[in-house]
Amino acid sequence: MAEPMQLCNISENNFEQCTKCSICTTVCPVAAVTTDYPGPKQAGPDGERYRLKDPAYYDKMLKLCLNCKRCEVACPSNVHIADIIQRARMQASVGKHASLRDTMLASTDLLGTMATLVAPVTNATLGLKPVKLVMDSVMAIDKHRTFPAYSGTKFETWYKRHAASSQGAYPHHVSYFHGCYVNYNFPRLGQDLVKVMNAVGYGVHLLAKEQCCGVALIANGLYKQARRQGRVNAASIRQAVNAEHRTVLTTSSSCTFNLRDEYPSILDIDTSDVRDGIMLATRFLYNLVDEGSIKLIFKQDYKRRIAYHTACHMQRMGWQLYSIEMLRMIPGLDLQVLEQECCGISGTYGFKKENYERSQAIGSVLFKHIADAQVEAVATDCETCKWQIEMSTGLPVENPISILADALDVEATRKANGL
Amino acid sequence: MRMDTVIMGGGLSALTCGITLAKHGKRVTIVASGQSTLLFNGGSMELLGSIDGQEVTAPLEAVATLPDNHPYRKIGTERIASLASEAKQLLDDAGINMEGRPDANHWRITPMGVAKPAWLTLSDHMRIDDLSHLPAKRVALMAIRGYLDQPNSMLAQGLRSLGMEVKVVEFSTSDITSLRRSPSEMRATSLAKHLMSNSALQRVAEQINALANEADLVLLPSVLGQNDDNDFRTLQSMVNKPLRLVATLPPAVAGMRMQAQLRHYFRMLGGTYLMGDTAVSGTFDQDRLTAVTTAKLGDMPLKADHFVLATGSFVSRGLMADYERVYEPVLGVDVDADADRECWTRFGVLNAQAYTQYGVATDNSLRCLIEGKPITNLRAIGSVLSGHDAIKMGDGTGVSMLTALAAAHDIIGR
Amino acid sequence: MVTNDIYNKEYDVIIVGGGATGAGTARDCALRGLSVLLVERNDYSTGATGRNHGLMHSGARYAVTDGESASECISENMILRRIARHCVEETDGLFITLPEDDLQYQQTFVDACQRAGIRADIIDPAEARRIEPAVNPSLIGAVRVPDASIDPFRLTVANLLDARMHGAETLNHHEVEGLIINQNRVEGVKLLSKRDGRHVEVRGRVVVNACGIWGQRIAQMAGAKISMFPARGALLIFGHRVNNMVINRCRKPANADILVPDDTVCVIGTTSDHIPIETVDDMRVTREEVDVLLKEGVKIAPSLATTRIIRAYAGVRPLVASDDDPSGRSISRGIVCLDHAKRDDIEGFITITGGKMMTYRLMGEIATNAVCAKLGNTAPCVTAAQPLPGSEEGGPSQSDLTKRYSFGERAAIGRHGSLAARIEKDNDIDNALVCECEGVTVGEIKYAVHQLHVHNLVNLRRRTRVGMGTCQGKLCSCRAASLLGEINHDVKGAQEDLAAFLDERWKGMRPVAWGDTLREAQLTAHIYEGLCGLDKVVDLQGKEDAQ
Repeated sequence: MAEPMQLCNISENNFEQCTKCSICTTVCPVAAVTTDYPGPKQAGPDGERYRLKDPAYYDKMLKLCLNCKRCEVACPSNVHIADIIQRARMQASVGKHASLRDTMLASTDLLGTMATLVAPVTNATLGLKPVKLVMDSVMAIDKHRTFPAYSGTKFETWYKRHAASSQGAYPHHVSYFHGCYVNYNFPRLGQDLVKVMNAVGYGVHLLAKEQCCGVALIANGLYKQARRQGRVNAASIRQAVNAEHRTVLTTSSSCTFNLRDEYPSILDIDTSDVRDGIMLATRFLYNLVDEGSIKLIFKQDYKRRIAYHTACHMQRMGWQLYSIEMLRMIPGLDLQVLEQECCGISGTYGFKKENYERSQAIGSVLFKHIADAQVEAVATDCETCKWQIEMSTGLPVENPISILADALDVEATRKANGL
Repeated sequence: MRMDTVIMGGGLSALTCGITLAKHGKRVTIVASGQSTLLFNGGSMELLGSIDGQEVTAPLEAVATLPDNHPYRKIGTERIASLASEAKQLLDDAGINMEGRPDANHWRITPMGVAKPAWLTLSDHMRIDDLSHLPAKRVALMAIRGYLDQPNSMLAQGLRSLGMEVKVVEFSTSDITSLRRSPSEMRATSLAKHLMSNSALQRVAEQINALANEADLVLLPSVLGQNDDNDFRTLQSMVNKPLRLVATLPPAVAGMRMQAQLRHYFRMLGGTYLMGDTAVSGTFDQDRLTAVTTAKLGDMPLKADHFVLATGSFVSRGLMADYERVYEPVLGVDVDADADRECWTRFGVLNAQAYTQYGVATDNSLRCLIEGKPITNLRAIGSVLSGHDAIKMGDGTGVSMLTALAAAHDIIGR
Repeated sequence: MVTNDIYNKEYDVIIVGGGATGAGTARDCALRGLSVLLVERNDYSTGATGRNHGLMHSGARYAVTDGESASECISENMILRRIARHCVEETDGLFITLPEDDLQYQQTFVDACQRAGIRADIIDPAEARRIEPAVNPSLIGAVRVPDASIDPFRLTVANLLDARMHGAETLNHHEVEGLIINQNRVEGVKLLSKRDGRHVEVRGRVVVNACGIWGQRIAQMAGAKISMFPARGALLIFGHRVNNMVINRCRKPANADILVPDDTVCVIGTTSDHIPIETVDDMRVTREEVDVLLKEGVKIAPSLATTRIIRAYAGVRPLVASDDDPSGRSISRGIVCLDHAKRDDIEGFITITGGKMMTYRLMGEIATNAVCAKLGNTAPCVTAAQPLPGSEEGGPSQSDLTKRYSFGERAAIGRHGSLAARIEKDNDIDNALVCECEGVTVGEIKYAVHQLHVHNLVNLRRRTRVGMGTCQGKLCSCRAASLLGEINHDVKGAQEDLAAFLDERWKGMRPVAWGDTLREAQLTAHIYEGLCGLDKVVDLQGKEDAQ
């Protein structure tokens, strides 16, 4: 036969590769704690065949999906189960408006900009009991939640004031997609990255224009807005990777996953030409050490016992290996790698009143593992996991880059790298 | 990234091989393309169950009569006994409590009440050592109300045909009833999650104690303990009769438990398990494989001294068939398979199907071949191997464990 | 167990054959007040009724070659949209011209459609690509016609249900072994119950032979000779719908030139081969048929080359040789109704055959007219106006379902229309899904067993779609077999039924067993043989091809 015939099976998100083996149902953290959610198999490939016939088969219980992607990781047939569910939700949302609460939670940079201006007030206000009660009843944001504190100075402001001018002097260069969390809530992580990269001879540059990657917008059904911001980011990344030949580093696994994989699969923004140029800083650093291009020297007296939690999207990317191996390079670090479990927060999901109990129930397995590990801190690459684990276990949670920065003997490292 | 050994595939054979290597201090990475077919295992290992439709009672003896291309013959008939005892030891070390012996099969009880020959069975699962000496005369079969993955009437009939008096006792508890609110997710594995707490187990125990008075043995669907057999032990301590579990339709709790325990043990030994990544291609240097590229690590391939192909059969996509041919998709190594599609299968669903014996071709050291020439540092183990038939011969799990051990020994250098 | 009351009654009319035609005739007869018994040797819609495209022809396909059939089709098409709403999906259809086809033919085609009363609008190829993205983008012409998709299983059952609601008795798994003949009059049928092995005789004033291709044998029993020419057609089912409109080739009918979206799948067909009448029960699809279907099918929709195929099946069209020319050179594709009193001097015996699933209602009307003429019944035919059960106004609707996860309820409404209200859904156990691909609940299975004459899994599949999803019965066949075994108190029978069902599924999978379909088959074998040991308790030898 002349033309290629039946050599492969192509279907959207591979839904037709599903052999109905039901393995995905065994790892779904939502189905494990509520009978309202039909599980990934029903919500994904099973339901999809009917939705293709008639969109009326969409079931609103699909909104309970966390989009943690554990089903996709477990699937032996490479079916993009969670993508199927996300796309179904997106199609069903056409013409519908998100609630004020969801819009507010999702608009991380709008909220961030406003909050940073009045950080002390905001932090105080968001923490006050009466305010929390109003948020709980009017906004349906659960009263148990504390919003991550807003920093008085944005990372971008700090960078311009204290770092920008010196970056050009380094022999190598990278760009940095810092994300909203670093910008508004936790500039220290960005500062840590600059510190580590500078120590091994890399100047760090901001993108021409960075907006929120949109992960929260997608989760809250604000697809149009997400697509608009996604296009801006894609253009900036393209400029950095293709024109300036700089790898775009990240320190958030969720932003990274969103930029690399959800842009094309959910938002239909093709980033295939620059996808390999976007990576987590730990992967970038690991590769440099592995190929012998840089050396890291750690403090002699550093001694800590830390557990590593693989964030769901980190596991979906398959990159936990790099963060773990980087941390293992620190001689004084006793690293306990936890079994992969979902923490239950899933971005803004756990902030919603209706999800609070479910969110905590999902996380309970992980919290127990953390307690059993008897560590002084937890490392993870995801900021929302950080909030959830800090709130639920009382332990501090740090990004691997911050731990590296802390353990690094900067002067010795600079010297070892010929600076 | 450089390792001593990279194993492609993450199921029983991969973990057996990985654990053995890690125990010998090797740096091992397992690339697991999703969960494995262990999740369809009802709690037993089979060495050899059947030859030409005849049930095997003494597998160690029967191995000698297998054809030359069977993996057991390749690794050497004389090694089977010692590898089998090593496999049992490995399972013990991983905390997987199984009973049985390689020289004489016992019988496991299937979800349909059929007694099938087996080598090892989880000690909390029902097994019969001797069909003429049944472990119990009067059996209470606890049937979970509203649970569809246990064909209770078939199971009861099967047990009766073996000579037991069986009473089917339907029951439920508040935990079970609330789970049934889900139209789709009342599966064995979900029940196991809902029956983890002492209070939930206590509610099951109360039902058993109230309803199974006259029985010598109480059977419960295998819905306990996806991490270990502690939940079973707890329940047994609350029940005043001997208790055993019986396999259900998949996904199976027993298989999930074995997978979790093996993976945990491998991690404890320092192994790296990449869940949800897939080996997609290899780089060769003459007769050696030097690196494997995975879907997620992308432009940073995994380099190693040794590689092991443990990617499974068609169902796990270790083998692929399309309109024209059967092939091995990762490295393109030689396969033993008929070229003509018409020969792969035949009508009659219970007839022997040729495709179930297809697999990659190897030499007697289990080294993969390309155009007939061995790749010196690439071994194939488990279901991806040709010449055996998990479905018709009942040799799948045995081949997985024993070829994995043989390959590990070759790599370590006995 | 069938009660003796059913066997001992004398009926006005006994209809032999439980396809769409027999069911439509039974309904018509019952609605006109006749007492009716319908008997079927296998299950309802086992023959040609259940083995076609599921295409509700507009008639356009026949417009050029057979104007009469075309007119019949469009008129029945419009009727079925009214009376069988829940069996019909109003998709519309395209007739496309490809570069290799003669574009001149398009005008001939449109003219012929107009003559037959079929709306046929020539549309721009770009517009065709827009409204049906799956179509071969290189098309050079397109005509839009009122084709649609129809579920023949549902249609047949709805007719039977209505017949029963009007007093008819219907028996599946009852084979006619012979006719009761008194001198030159057929007075009833001799039956073998395949359910319990009993032989019984049932009397009727008129016997209607509505057995499709198998009607030749029934006619022989009466001493009448009908020359039938079995034309076999094979089809392939793909795992999901690539198209949402029917797509035909705009040329003279040939192999694999229609792609129909049916429920959750799409179907390409058919081949057309004349076969010896002795082979009409062997419906296994050959490799050559698969190759032809694929080779031609990708010309209609290129994505078929990379879409998973879940099954292959074949059916036999009952073509009848004209009485003037028994050689078969002039074969009629139209409806044939033979009153054997006039033709062969055999009283009380009518054969209705030829035709198409599409025209089953008209065939029923014609046959019933013939029956009524014999019995002196003058009631008018109302089947064209009265909706079938399930298609009445009212009943549960999709939009009522917002509270909980309700895939099973939605799917049941899709299948049973307003009759879905009869399915128990008030407790969690009835709401539990047995077949997850197709959303079949325990409640729906109970309904099918108790009200839709389900005796085995294959029956159940035709009534509910159990096991018709991409996995072809991986977990659901065991769940359903277990439920049936408990309802029927027959465990051994349930295991044999389960094995026979898996065998029937494999029969369709085997010709296309590569890729993910082969993976699926291996996993199913692993579960039922490896894990469960079903092969140790069931012997399928000798009943390899149960259906």
